[in-house]
Amino acid sequence: MVDRLVKEYEGKIEFRLLNAGTDAEATDLMMRFGVTAVPTFVFLGSDGANEGKIIGAASEQELRAKLDSLK
Amino acid sequence: MKNPGKIAIWAVIGIAVLVIGFMAFSPAEGTVENVDARRLADLVASGVRVIDVRTEGEYAAGHIAGAELVPIDRFAQAAATWDRTVPLAVYCATGQRSTTAVNHLSGQGFEKVYHFNAGLVAWSGTLERGATAAAPAPEPTASALPVVYEFFTDT
Repeated sequence: MVDRLVKEYEGKIEFRLLNAGTDAEATDLMMRFGVTAVPTFVFLGSDGANEGKIIGAASEQELRAKLDSLK
Repeated sequence: MKNPGKIAIWAVIGIAVLVIGFMAFSPAEGTVENVDARRLADLVASGVRVIDVRTEGEYAAGHIAGAELVPIDRFAQAAATWDRTVPLAVYCATGQRSTTAVNHLSGQGFEKVYHFNAGLVAWSGTLERGATAAAPAPEPTASALPVVYEFFTDT
């Protein structure tokens, strides 16, 4: 599902997919965003402002709603 | 057939011997007790060894004070060196990875395993964080687009 959304929102939203177990930069970013459980989605606006997160498996509908609200 | 009654009795005795023998020589399975957040807090306060089987990133972002990090992909190897008589409490984020861990411990004969099966999402107590000083700001995107991070794990 996420792969499909990545393609669909290409040019509008940048997706950064990080494996919490293997990607070196994941640990620092998880600390920064307070991510204590995976999967978690963190949303940032174009100005870098933290626009919230979704913890746990998100539905496509839930993700789309959040993505569409990002500016 | 000479005496069907005797044959039946010997058959029952034989089965009983087999069952008892199997129980005596098979590895003993340990006891797993599911606990809620309140019970886990009591166990932590009493000094029970607590194992966090999440990833390093999740652990660094927040963990129960005193918990040891043993990611699930390294769990079996680490557990092989542990004393099976020492009680353990195990948790992850939602109970999925910790279920794998406690099943392993039970199968290996650990005598007492407390499973916080609801996971850290159900924890209402305080969390201890890793060293925070080095956490960098995410790099801005060149095109100044909104950004979505997805943190996931294969395990």
